[in-house]
Amino acid sequence: MSNSESFKRKVTAERVMLVVFLVVSAVFILEPVIESYPDDARVFPQLTASAVFIGSLLLLLQNYLPGPLQKFVAESVSITTSDSSEVIDQVEEDDEPLEEVDEPEEEYKKETLGAKYGYEVNETVFMVSTAVLYFVVGWAAGFLFITPLYILGYTLWFRVNPVVSVGLAIGGTAVIYLFMTYLVLPFDQGHVFDFSPLVPMLFDGAPILLRGGL
Amino acid sequence: MAVDAFFEGLSIATTPEMLVWLTLGLLLGIVLGALPGIGSPVGMAIVLPLTLPLDATAAIILLVAIYSGAMFGGSISAILINAPGTESAAATTLDGYPMSQNGLAKNALAIATTASALNGFLAAIALIILSPVLIEVVLAFGSPEYFLLAILGISLITIVTQGSIVKGLVAGALGFMISTIGTAILSPRPRYTFGQFGLYEGIDFVAALIGMFAFAEMMKLAARKQISEDDVEIAGSVRDGITTIFKYPMTTLKSGLIGMGIGMVPGSGATTSTFVAYAEEARSSTKDGRFGEGDPRGVIAPEAANNPTVSGSLIPTLSFGIPGSGSTAVLLGGILMHGLQPGPVLFGEQLQITYALFISLFLGNVLILAVGLTLIPYASKITELDTTLIIPMVVVLSYAGAYTLNQNWWDVGAVIVLGVLGFYMVRNNYSIIAFVLGIVLGPIAEENFFRSLQISGGEYTIFFDPINRPLSFLLTLAIFLILFGPFLKGRVKRLVSRN
Repeated sequence: MSNSESFKRKVTAERVMLVVFLVVSAVFILEPVIESYPDDARVFPQLTASAVFIGSLLLLLQNYLPGPLQKFVAESVSITTSDSSEVIDQVEEDDEPLEEVDEPEEEYKKETLGAKYGYEVNETVFMVSTAVLYFVVGWAAGFLFITPLYILGYTLWFRVNPVVSVGLAIGGTAVIYLFMTYLVLPFDQGHVFDFSPLVPMLFDGAPILLRGGL
Repeated sequence: MAVDAFFEGLSIATTPEMLVWLTLGLLLGIVLGALPGIGSPVGMAIVLPLTLPLDATAAIILLVAIYSGAMFGGSISAILINAPGTESAAATTLDGYPMSQNGLAKNALAIATTASALNGFLAAIALIILSPVLIEVVLAFGSPEYFLLAILGISLITIVTQGSIVKGLVAGALGFMISTIGTAILSPRPRYTFGQFGLYEGIDFVAALIGMFAFAEMMKLAARKQISEDDVEIAGSVRDGITTIFKYPMTTLKSGLIGMGIGMVPGSGATTSTFVAYAEEARSSTKDGRFGEGDPRGVIAPEAANNPTVSGSLIPTLSFGIPGSGSTAVLLGGILMHGLQPGPVLFGEQLQITYALFISLFLGNVLILAVGLTLIPYASKITELDTTLIIPMVVVLSYAGAYTLNQNWWDVGAVIVLGVLGFYMVRNNYSIIAFVLGIVLGPIAEENFFRSLQISGGEYTIFFDPINRPLSFLLTLAIFLILFGPFLKGRVKRLVSRN
């Protein structure tokens, strides 16, 4: 096994997550010291961050810990476990390195627009990427205008019937419009682009346009 | 006082407005519960911000109705397509789906509806009767005890979810840690905001709930296609199904007691109670049981246990603020969001709200019976939805809901970040319930932690002083035994056998 393969094998999602926990908890421990927080603002977050830091470090280094400590860290117990020694024995046998435990559920290959043109994208990655894009563009240009584009884009990518896609996009936009109207939320205003002047024309003016114009 | 509060609660729960919210919640819960991958925590998390304009009682009744409805709804897809809508319906698939394959889908659905409603109804009565005792217990708790209870809740969840203790503790502590972002509780000092004004109010725990449940669940669902791959045919007889329940009264009663008892244990939920009830029924019916092949008792047992678990789990949630499951964690979020405080207040000056909730639960189970039995012929329609249509709508609702909370874009960002975190935590067996509990209970735990230290003049002994604070001592001992007990037990046993 080459060095790069061995490195890739060791860098699991769980290890990356634990390193993130370590860094974030270290920030939570150090920030009050640097910024001189008073005691009543400092003690509780530092205590909890210390617990996260120590726990993450133990989990990250569990394969290199001395026997009893390793058993305690790796041990999987429940109040229904009748004999913990069985668990300990099991842990002793289990010297596998830390790896992702969850097998992906029965996954289906969805028919996508990208696949038609030779672009294979993982469904979960696509879902998260589009959701992040929707958030960023929604913040910049206003959710009201981006919501139909997001829903159309997402559903059409998965080759949903275009009529259903359009119906869903209208439904989603109506939900945002209701939030905007009844809860008085500025979903028509973006932080970079302001399309709010279009709202009266698109929404309040729609019934007039449908009746044949002014 | 309790009798007056009961009648006041009754008048609140039976107003037309509350009955409308109850019915709406139940219908929504049944539909959401029947969609595998959605379930009650996701549905409740999405609806939670929408309850902001509602009165606190109406909001809590709506949430409890969704929870209760989803418990029944989960069994629809479990029986028809072998895919439980909620984790709690997993045990129902064992005999429910074989019954469906044997041409008895209507019987199985009728059994599920009747057993679920009947025992939910009985458990709600038991809850009302138990309330005066709970009031006495709750009032005995002070600041140190509440702080220790939060720690005990996380410890119990760690143990009940059967993972590594260290992973559970890391998840819970991480939740506590994130709850400290924003202005400090006891001094007007902003913490961990890094100059961002949007973080001064901290990460709203409702946004965290939406992220951990709704967004993370959509990430899981993205890899699935249609909920049901096959055409589902519903055959059998509703009437025969209902009469089957009365052939096995002991199974129904026993499973209900198991459900309520397990529901009361913080950290356990309907997933545990339904499997225990199923296992107990299979154990006690070894002579004539055909479990796994479509034995009706295999449907009665888990279904008779699931709704009493809802009632049981309300006890630690309302009395101590320790939720038993993802759904009760969201419910607790709703209680706090509407300015209600679990504990002495809900069992003291606001006792009428607690009673209104219990009475709604009772009425809800009557409605489940009526609505459930009417829905049976159309049940398969729910399972034919395409996940591609669900995901963008849930994302849109999640963002809109999170933004509604404080009109703060950081909350929407938190939905994404915590959603991705929740997805990987679940994949690697980290308890997201412990994490969510940490976020929801963080401010309460911190406040009680400091109050305790103020009472003791900075002495940490207040948490384990057997003379002056025996309850604190017992709670600390319980935490210690829960965390280290299984480990020490093995050591002691080895030592004894060696000697």
